[in-house]
Amino acid sequence: MLTGLLRKLANAVLLLFAVLVLNFALIHIAPGDPVEALVGEMGGATPELIAELRESFGLDQPLYVQIGHYLGRVLQGDLGYSTYYDQPVTHLIAERIGPTLLLVTVALLWAIVIGTILGVFSAQRRNSWISHLVTVLSLAGFSAPVFWIGIMLILLLSVAYPILPISGMTSTETATSTIGYILDVAHHLVLPALTLGLIYLAFYSRLSRTSMLEVLETDYVRTARAKGLPKRLVIYKHALRNAVLPVVTFAGLQFGQVISGAVLVETVFAWPGLGTLAFESILRRDTPTLLGILFFSALMVVVMNLLTDVIYRRIDPRIKAT
Amino acid sequence: MTSSSPLLSVRDLEISFRTGGREIPVVRDLSFDLSAGETLGIVGESGCGKSITALSLIGLVPSPPGRVSKGQILLNGEDIVTAGEDRLTRIRGNEISMVFQEPMTSLNPVYTVGEQIAETARAHFGSSRAEAWDRAIEMLKLVGIPSPEQRAHNYPHQLSGGMRQRVMIAIALVCEPKVLIADEPTTALDVTVQAQIFDLFRELQRKIKAAIILITHDIGVVAQMCDRVMVMYAGRKIEEGPVRSFIRDPRHPYTRGLISCIPKLSRDPSDTPEPLFEIPGVVPSPADLAELKGCAFAPRCNRAINECQLHSPALTPLGSDRAVACLRQEEIPA
Amino acid sequence: MSVTDTTPPVAATAGKPLPKPVSPSRQVWQMFRQNHSAMIGLFILFAIIVISIIGPSLYTVSPRDMVWMPLTPPGQSEYLLGTDYLGRDLLAGLINGGRVTITIGFSAAVLTILIGVTIGALAGFFGGRIDNVLMRVTEFFQVLPNLLFAMVVVMLFSPSLINIAIAIGIVSWTSTARLTRAEFLKIREMDYVKAERSIGAGNARLIWKVILPNAAPPLIVVAALSIGSAILFEAGLSFLGLSDPNAMSWGRMIGDNRPYILDSSWGVTFPGIAIFLTVLAISLVGDGLNDAINPKLRQR
Ligand SMILES: Nc1ncnc2c1ncn2[C@@H]1O[C@H](COP(=O)(O)OP(=O)(O)OP(=O)(O)O)[C@@H](O)[C@H]1O
Ligand code: SF4
Ligand SMILES: [Mg+2]
Repeated sequence: MLTGLLRKLANAVLLLFAVLVLNFALIHIAPGDPVEALVGEMGGATPELIAELRESFGLDQPLYVQIGHYLGRVLQGDLGYSTYYDQPVTHLIAERIGPTLLLVTVALLWAIVIGTILGVFSAQRRNSWISHLVTVLSLAGFSAPVFWIGIMLILLLSVAYPILPISGMTSTETATSTIGYILDVAHHLVLPALTLGLIYLAFYSRLSRTSMLEVLETDYVRTARAKGLPKRLVIYKHALRNAVLPVVTFAGLQFGQVISGAVLVETVFAWPGLGTLAFESILRRDTPTLLGILFFSALMVVVMNLLTDVIYRRIDPRIKAT
Repeated sequence: MTSSSPLLSVRDLEISFRTGGREIPVVRDLSFDLSAGETLGIVGESGCGKSITALSLIGLVPSPPGRVSKGQILLNGEDIVTAGEDRLTRIRGNEISMVFQEPMTSLNPVYTVGEQIAETARAHFGSSRAEAWDRAIEMLKLVGIPSPEQRAHNYPHQLSGGMRQRVMIAIALVCEPKVLIADEPTTALDVTVQAQIFDLFRELQRKIKAAIILITHDIGVVAQMCDRVMVMYAGRKIEEGPVRSFIRDPRHPYTRGLISCIPKLSRDPSDTPEPLFEIPGVVPSPADLAELKGCAFAPRCNRAINECQLHSPALTPLGSDRAVACLRQEEIPA
Repeated sequence: MSVTDTTPPVAATAGKPLPKPVSPSRQVWQMFRQNHSAMIGLFILFAIIVISIIGPSLYTVSPRDMVWMPLTPPGQSEYLLGTDYLGRDLLAGLINGGRVTITIGFSAAVLTILIGVTIGALAGFFGGRIDNVLMRVTEFFQVLPNLLFAMVVVMLFSPSLINIAIAIGIVSWTSTARLTRAEFLKIREMDYVKAERSIGAGNARLIWKVILPNAAPPLIVVAALSIGSAILFEAGLSFLGLSDPNAMSWGRMIGDNRPYILDSSWGVTFPGIAIFLTVLAISLVGDGLNDAINPKLRQR
């Protein structure tokens, strides 16, 4: 078991390394280099100055030296410098990571919990209203752009019936007490978390229904019934535990997509997280920041995958060191 | 056949499945009795309705699409067909238990085998966790699993097929049921394991005094294990009687075919059982059977006469303890 | 976003019998026709495609020019759906935007399938080292959050229609590859493949002529669904401002009109409905195809 995890860990490090190489490559393949950009901003420069700048950026060195330097810097926690914000990218990310994690966690949690409940119920009653709800919900959730859902919810719950704030994470007249602050953030969190969660609600209700239907037909569920366990135990002890296995797997695998969704939702609601930062860096053509976010998100995905793996090992005894 | 009232009595059972908008019976006119301590064998070709009959005895016909559409299943006089889910829950695993054909998939992969035995005891006896766990270990010992204290903590995937089937048997017997149904309990296992499992059955029957219904394809097993045999064909009982007369003097042409397919009855259980049912031809589908007027076996029967296409043969008593459903049973030489 | 993520979890499919080899397409059509929602989807899709193709020549109002007072609500002028913040005709935008949206969606989906099937087929067919390397590559692409990665690519290489389609293709192929690989692994071991191999069929023939046709049914479903996810993806990119400045797509209309939602909800509502309907229609068709190809899984 331990060696299995260690191998996963090594694999994770390798993946992150590859992301860095990709980042580096992208900067170099892309038309225009940082010096040209800088020179453009300064409104022109002499050839000597350009050469000097190239040297100071290390752009005159052979590629492998440059890549070595780049990796070295990243290892020291330096993801580059944002010329627009005039700050190290790591600072920017550190500032914005909290809100993103809050949003993503809350959205995923409610979606998974409610989705699983809906799926499990609808699996037991194939033609009930809950079952139809899951079908409609999953179709709608798959088909509507998440940012559009967000805007529609704003129009409904902030404009037509103004009960929730349109955007941001806190009100300007900041609350003084801690509890007031928490409530304020929670109030702002409702709409973005609802929006982001809706797509995953669609996904998880469908996934857990399929999975539950499959599990309900297995031999071991028949055994559980045949030995005279009450229905409650058959469903919630024997079937559910097996039916959630794919839900757990997907929760980990999908984390990358959740971050992608968060970019759009944060942008809609001006939620001050990494997503808005990514959106802003596109507007400002702030490449180092965008690449930093890409790397950092990949890091989060990798960590999530490892975490899923650990959880999976706890709930599925069949997984041994592989 | 016993004169005292039987433990389990099935009366005119019909089980139907709804397919393509029509409800088609797959088991029909089935009646049989089972008394305490007795072992009844059920044999018949694949698809003839053995498993579905077994499942109906514990109220587990998959529904939808299936249901018991007629008849009664009386356990000590109480009808299982009309019993409520609560009552069934108390009967299953407690008064009637079942061991399934598929040991590899019949245990829940995410719980230890000890827990899967113990929870059965808790459900029926309301035992405490500790009591139930002790009971589980005792059962593991009883079914011949070495070092049961450790094994109880294993998950199913850590055990071999034979071990798993023993665990299944332990689950089935933990509440000392009155009736044990074993649906081809050894089909998935190799021959030596098979012999051990049957030894175990015999021993347990002596200890617990349970009645056993043993579903099998293997006439050799029937000969060794059963007191009485019931032969099913296309959802009906076509012959029934004590094991000895069934083997020495089969009456129904289908049964004769079965018996003649085994060149010799091996005494040594570790001999490979001969493959059965080499009778040429196929069974009509349940849908065709529903329309059929005559004997379902007629298309394959070497004794069929015109009559056979017209009248379905009724089950007719033969002597004091046998019954056969064939129009020509009288003419068949003993 | 995850429409194509249909690769079933490992535990769930292990030991399932294989679907029958290619069923005749007519049989699939028979099944498909009986599926009402799938037929409705097909009809909507057909209508949208026809409107996108011939609409611009029937309704000749330019989607770029100011034609009326900005922010005119629907039904208050000759421009049926009203105007946006620049006084442009929304209906014209929708009709012309459909062409761009569907073109990008379709070409990105083609690319997704091309990359995914190639990688999955090679990995599944050859196995061993090749499989190992290709699966690592797949894993690598899965770790990158797809939208962010596409944002980087489009930003670095200018947001032309082609670049956008390429970016979507590059970040979307992984689940197709996994599905293809799984199918190939299964079919590779089938008797008819072994028979072909034993009579000396070459690898190319085995992959193209023997295995791929049998792996095709689930891939066709995924291909259909991935057009839908590509359209959603394009919409997301344009919403973030990464769209071809010379082409008007539905996603871009939402992005452009978003700052004005308090004055004109219709500016974002209508393009959103257009995207929703299109992707919904594709999902219905995809699900219908899936049921028709795989009748066993129907009730799911
Ligand atoms: N879930 C189901 N849906 C529809 N028909 C079914 C279902 N289960 C069983 N049947 C029908 O019931 C008949 C009897 O099946 P059953 O499983 O009892 O056969 P069996 O005698 O146990 O065969 P085997 O020896 O192969 O186990 C079959 O012909 C089958 O068509
Ligand atoms: S009734 Fe006729 S067909 Fe049926 S078994 Fe007897 S002889 Fe054969
Ligand atoms: Mg059976």
